[in-house]
Amino acid sequence: MTFTSFEFLLFFPAVVLLYNIIPQKWRLFYLLAASYVFYAFLQPVYLILLAAVTATTYGFTRWMENVDDDDKKHKIMIWGIVVILLPLFFFKYFNFVDESITSLFQSMGIGITMPTIRWMLPLGISYYTFMAIGYLVDVYNEDVEVEHNVCAVGLFLSFFPIVLSGPIERAGNMFPQIKAMERSKPIDLTSGAKLMLWGYFMKLCVADRLGIYIDAVYSNVAQHNGTSLALAALLFPIQEYGDLGGYSLLAIGAARCFGFKIVPNFNRPFFSTSMSNFWRRWHMSLIKWLTDYIYTPISYALRSKKMWGIVIALLVTFLVSGIWHGAALTVICWGLMQGVLLSIETVFQNKRNNFEEKFKLKKNGLYIFVCCVVVYIIFAFTEIYGMSSSFAEANLIVKKIFTEPGALFIDKTTLSVAVLMTVILFFKDLRDEFFPNKLRCFESKSIVVRFGSYLLICFLILLLGVLNAGQFIYFQF
Amino acid sequence: MNKNEIIEKLTPIFREVLEMSDLVLADELSANDVDNWTSLTHMLIMTKIEETFGITFKLKELKKLQNVGDMITVLEEKTK
Repeated sequence: MTFTSFEFLLFFPAVVLLYNIIPQKWRLFYLLAASYVFYAFLQPVYLILLAAVTATTYGFTRWMENVDDDDKKHKIMIWGIVVILLPLFFFKYFNFVDESITSLFQSMGIGITMPTIRWMLPLGISYYTFMAIGYLVDVYNEDVEVEHNVCAVGLFLSFFPIVLSGPIERAGNMFPQIKAMERSKPIDLTSGAKLMLWGYFMKLCVADRLGIYIDAVYSNVAQHNGTSLALAALLFPIQEYGDLGGYSLLAIGAARCFGFKIVPNFNRPFFSTSMSNFWRRWHMSLIKWLTDYIYTPISYALRSKKMWGIVIALLVTFLVSGIWHGAALTVICWGLMQGVLLSIETVFQNKRNNFEEKFKLKKNGLYIFVCCVVVYIIFAFTEIYGMSSSFAEANLIVKKIFTEPGALFIDKTTLSVAVLMTVILFFKDLRDEFFPNKLRCFESKSIVVRFGSYLLICFLILLLGVLNAGQFIYFQF
Repeated sequence: MNKNEIIEKLTPIFREVLEMSDLVLADELSANDVDNWTSLTHMLIMTKIEETFGITFKLKELKKLQNVGDMITVLEEKTK
């Protein structure tokens, strides 16, 4: 059962309805049970893993609570992190490390074959593992109180709207809401439904429509010319935005229907005027997590190295981001590219600020437009490495883009629908970015405009949405 | 060290690192108010404060600093 499945359309309203009927004291157990049922629909056997990570997190935080000595607490935290990371390493990275060692031995002429694991990756493991680690570190830093109710920790790590693909939540935001769990207010239900409606539009009409064209080109790189590959490469960031951005809105909207306010994950990323600005708007919950638990400690530890300390911290942070995204050298390379780009920006940040100040460019429309385009193209280029299965494939795409122009491969129906849907998404983001209080549709005071826009989006989803595309891209992480 | 003495020592550090010769420190001033106050310049400021005041910050303490006022309060504590 995923957000785009028929079962979910039955499951979700039923869970919301019952949540509002039962007494408050039962809501925690009820939502925990609903979350486990949701997960069991997808991978029942891995519920054991989810429960084990919950128990481990709970145990280590309670242990830390009973220790006064800071050094000992620190050691407990490190051991907790190691234990929580073990399943992630085992399921996601074991084969990658294993195959790398085997090929290293083979290149040295030693014919050793290491045992491989052919198990399915537990869904959401990267997300709930990071949430558990975040909670452990927050307890150590005294940013949050230790939660004594194991069911609350269980719900924090398994809450069904966010368990599969985030947003990566934090204990400080979730535990107070888990404790409160009042009956849903009308504003929660309407806001949640609107977010979900827009999420479905982004996923089914934008991401999956574009996906048909992009998959057709990328699944046969050898047969397509550079022009078609360039168009696919330029469209891919929009597909990803529609996919994870849409999923995030579905998750945030679903949680909102229970009164939960989940952290945002995207903030109109294609209006970014620099790469650092882009990474404050794209997959924000992951970047915030990486900033707090990887970048800040490293940059603090290396502060005496000044500029180099920051550069090393950035490189390591985005290396971890690459590793988190996938156990493949291309994805790790993609992460390093982001780190290098951000390092260059950081080094020249003051000069850029002074330049913009001198020529009064901060509010210059043309300058902002050019910066947004440049950032978009740079990100689209790095994504060629992020999505390719091998360096050979990525290099072939890049080579063809620059050396093999030709007639564009066009699937007219798919592309025209996809472009129309993208234009709608673009104008909505444009309005939110520059004219947040103008031309409201979902929030209009006029009931005709409001309901007209709901109906239009429902109509577009049913008529032009891809209703059988299957999974979200980010489930694989 | 009292608040005025701390501000007197902090001001040249902020002005030099942020390249703003006329910057005036106030309790409410934070990274959101100054363009050049980035993650890099923040760490440079902290390193210079540690050198100037002969102290070291713990990461826990650094994370709790929201603005210049918080920084002055911590420095008052550490230089008692």
